[in-house]
Amino acid sequence: MNRSLQIRAGLTLVILLLSLYGLLPTFKALSISPAEREAARDNPERMAEIAEIDAQAIRRGLDLKGGMYLVLEVDQTGMNASESEDALLRVKEILYNRIDKFGVSEPEITTFGSSRIVVKLPGLQDPERAKNLLGQTAKLEFRMVRPATEIEAALLKMDEAFKSDAVATADEPEADEAIDEPEAASAEVPAEEDALAEAGDDSATAENPFGELDDLTDLQPTNDEYLKDHPFTGLLAIQQGLMQSTPLFVLEQNVDRVQQMLDDPRTPRKLRDVEFQLDMEGMNVGQGQTLRPLYLVSTRTVLTGDQLTDAIANSDPDRPGSWEVDFTLSSRGARQFAKVTGENVGRFLAISLDGRISSAPVIQGKIPSGQGSISGTFTHAEASDLALLLRAGALPADVFIAEERTVGPSLGSDSIRMGVSAALYGSVMVILFMLFYYRASGIVTVLALVSNIIILMAVLAQFDLVLTLPGIAGIILTVGMAVDANVLINERIREELRKDKTIRASVQSGYQNATRTIVDANVTTLIAGGILLWFGTGPIKGFAVTLSIGILTSMFTALVMTRVIMEMMTRRQGKQKMSI
Amino acid sequence: MEFFKNPKINFVGGMKSAFIVSVILVGLSVVSLVIHGGPRMSIDFTGGSVLQVKVDPVPEVADIRSTLEGKGYAGVQVTEFGSADEFLITFADPESTTETLDAAQLLLNDLREGLSGSQIELRREESVGPKIGSELRTAAINSVVAALALIVLYITVRFVFRYGIAAILALVHDVTLTLGVFSLLNFEISLSIIAAFLTIIGYSLNDTIVVFDRIRENMKLRRKESYRQVINRSINECLSRTMLTSLTTFFVAATLYVLGGPVIHDFAFALCFGVLIGTYSSMFIASPVLVWWYERRIADKKRAAMEM
Repeated sequence: MNRSLQIRAGLTLVILLLSLYGLLPTFKALSISPAEREAARDNPERMAEIAEIDAQAIRRGLDLKGGMYLVLEVDQTGMNASESEDALLRVKEILYNRIDKFGVSEPEITTFGSSRIVVKLPGLQDPERAKNLLGQTAKLEFRMVRPATEIEAALLKMDEAFKSDAVATADEPEADEAIDEPEAASAEVPAEEDALAEAGDDSATAENPFGELDDLTDLQPTNDEYLKDHPFTGLLAIQQGLMQSTPLFVLEQNVDRVQQMLDDPRTPRKLRDVEFQLDMEGMNVGQGQTLRPLYLVSTRTVLTGDQLTDAIANSDPDRPGSWEVDFTLSSRGARQFAKVTGENVGRFLAISLDGRISSAPVIQGKIPSGQGSISGTFTHAEASDLALLLRAGALPADVFIAEERTVGPSLGSDSIRMGVSAALYGSVMVILFMLFYYRASGIVTVLALVSNIIILMAVLAQFDLVLTLPGIAGIILTVGMAVDANVLINERIREELRKDKTIRASVQSGYQNATRTIVDANVTTLIAGGILLWFGTGPIKGFAVTLSIGILTSMFTALVMTRVIMEMMTRRQGKQKMSI
Repeated sequence: MEFFKNPKINFVGGMKSAFIVSVILVGLSVVSLVIHGGPRMSIDFTGGSVLQVKVDPVPEVADIRSTLEGKGYAGVQVTEFGSADEFLITFADPESTTETLDAAQLLLNDLREGLSGSQIELRREESVGPKIGSELRTAAINSVVAALALIVLYITVRFVFRYGIAAILALVHDVTLTLGVFSLLNFEISLSIIAAFLTIIGYSLNDTIVVFDRIRENMKLRRKESYRQVINRSINECLSRTMLTSLTTFFVAATLYVLGGPVIHDFAFALCFGVLIGTYSSMFIASPVLVWWYERRIADKKRAAMEM
């Protein structure tokens, strides 16, 4: 055996053995049955062992083990470059805290580009809950509710701001609906005349919405007309005495339109230092009617969620079966809270979460303890999630879910089963075909194919790459392509043999000629694979990874490994026959 | 064993008929694409949501559709998916980024409410906002174009420019026909189908280059033969390898189609079709284009010589 052949043979052997060794944990992980995993739950030592093995085995993608892939877009409007970057990193950190507390194993959170965050949550049971947890800004704010005397002026300003839109909005079908409904609501809770008088004393002009409250609730025919002049007030139902903190309500079907107007950039310009905020939830007033309270509050916050040191879900003592979130303020927050509550006894304090008010209790006296609660009709899960969100902190910017891909665990294991069986049957078919077509040389080809898969899988395991369903497809395709290299070589050798060359010479020149073709042909596929890698997101990337690695490993097995075997087999000078 | 012992098929002679067949097929593809208003894009590119649900007891597709329409979801597509008890619900809501994504969850809740007697398991959900959708569309187009450009470059470096053009013509042919088949069968073009396209491009090229390589070699060895003869000989010499490789690759793609499960069904279908069409195009499009180009150039030179 000459020196070069020795070196190549040694190299091949080492690579193959290293690959097999690298795949050991994967084999081990596969050999642990689900029942065994279940049993290990009670045994922390065994659990740690299994986790260790899993960590070294080939990682399965979310599509194979089930899980959620989310792309979150961070709203960076109005931020400069450094603020944007800062916001992105802080969002990532806070999301990490939230997920960490949510109890998902091995979450992955990475920033993507300048405004996006990619979140991968394997083995997730409740995607809806996870989305709520990640997508919420969780901005907790305390503001003073403005006195009722200021409401009228604010309403007038709103109507003024949106008057030009009124014609257009009145034509919308929702507008008709809105007009139909107030009657029922007002029948249930009649407006209180004297309260109106108190609010609207000074200016009972035709423009005064309060003066026309009766019209609003009773007069069907003029409603179109009214809505035209009062595009905002026309959507409201004004009811005194229903709640102490506010007389304003919105019918549930109008909530979206009202919110739209509140979000309009004209609103803050017009209202300046006050703003309207909707309640988180509506009040059922019977007859299938739900009214959503609307509050007039200061834009200035007296306290925000930053000052929170702890938040915990507790059952609501006032409402059995309902949960609330009790929070504790930092000492600075507590001092501030004590000061504000001390100065505003008898007024209402609105507690809002992401711009919606959860409650607006009356301040009965100075609160020095720095403790409070957020109540609403929360379930236990909702209250614990809210507590979690408040503990992890508010996001410095709003986020939107821009892309989501969720695979249930059952589909994941189905996919593995199908993918593996496709790979198995495909390979077996190719192997049989090669043996049938090339006889003894076919065995060499088969060796190359099998080694190719082993090396490819070892590379995946070693470099911590993720195996996905498209990735399995890539492996299957690689098998098809690996055959090609061997076919090219074998066909060349046959050709050379036909020219009556010796076996040794045929093998040598067969490989020499085929090598150039194989490299040229594979580089082009590698170009396609490389582009897929570069452009690919989620599903494509896994495919590109296995395809590209597969091309490289198949070139190695075909050009180096089989050549070593063939050269060793045909080493003897006198050998007359070759089975190919 | 051998499929072909010293084959002498006149590929170049059959070039005209192959051209006609290809032109007709490409024409049909284009017509189908025009009639359908371009390829049918999946939610990956348009934005929207796909839900794969398993329902027990199994309802009719029409039941699910009417339940959803009753809840105000107009334009929802419902199809059986893979097995009889699984359904794919697709809907595009290009309104806004956030609402689309909440919409999928709302739809599931509404469906659970509407089919209250049934157990509904969410097997898979994919939602893409319109912004990401249009970005993915741009990226997909860029990637196909970039792949084609780089490949021409590579072939130009390794061979000569006209080989590159011939190879690209064959590739454009392959991609157009695959798009056409998808359009005719009303299949959707999704991210994974783009991956399949790029694989087809790589594969078809692989085939073409093997033949080109042989042409290059034979041009040096057989200077006495005409260009046509050299090319015909080269295709014939590669025939055994071409058929063998195509067959094995088709085998594995077909296994993937049959056994790989519904999620990669369309992807595997594209691969199967691409292997067939790629084999055809490397024999009947790429190499004959070389002949056509060469002979035109000769004719031009002759004409130029005569005019002088």
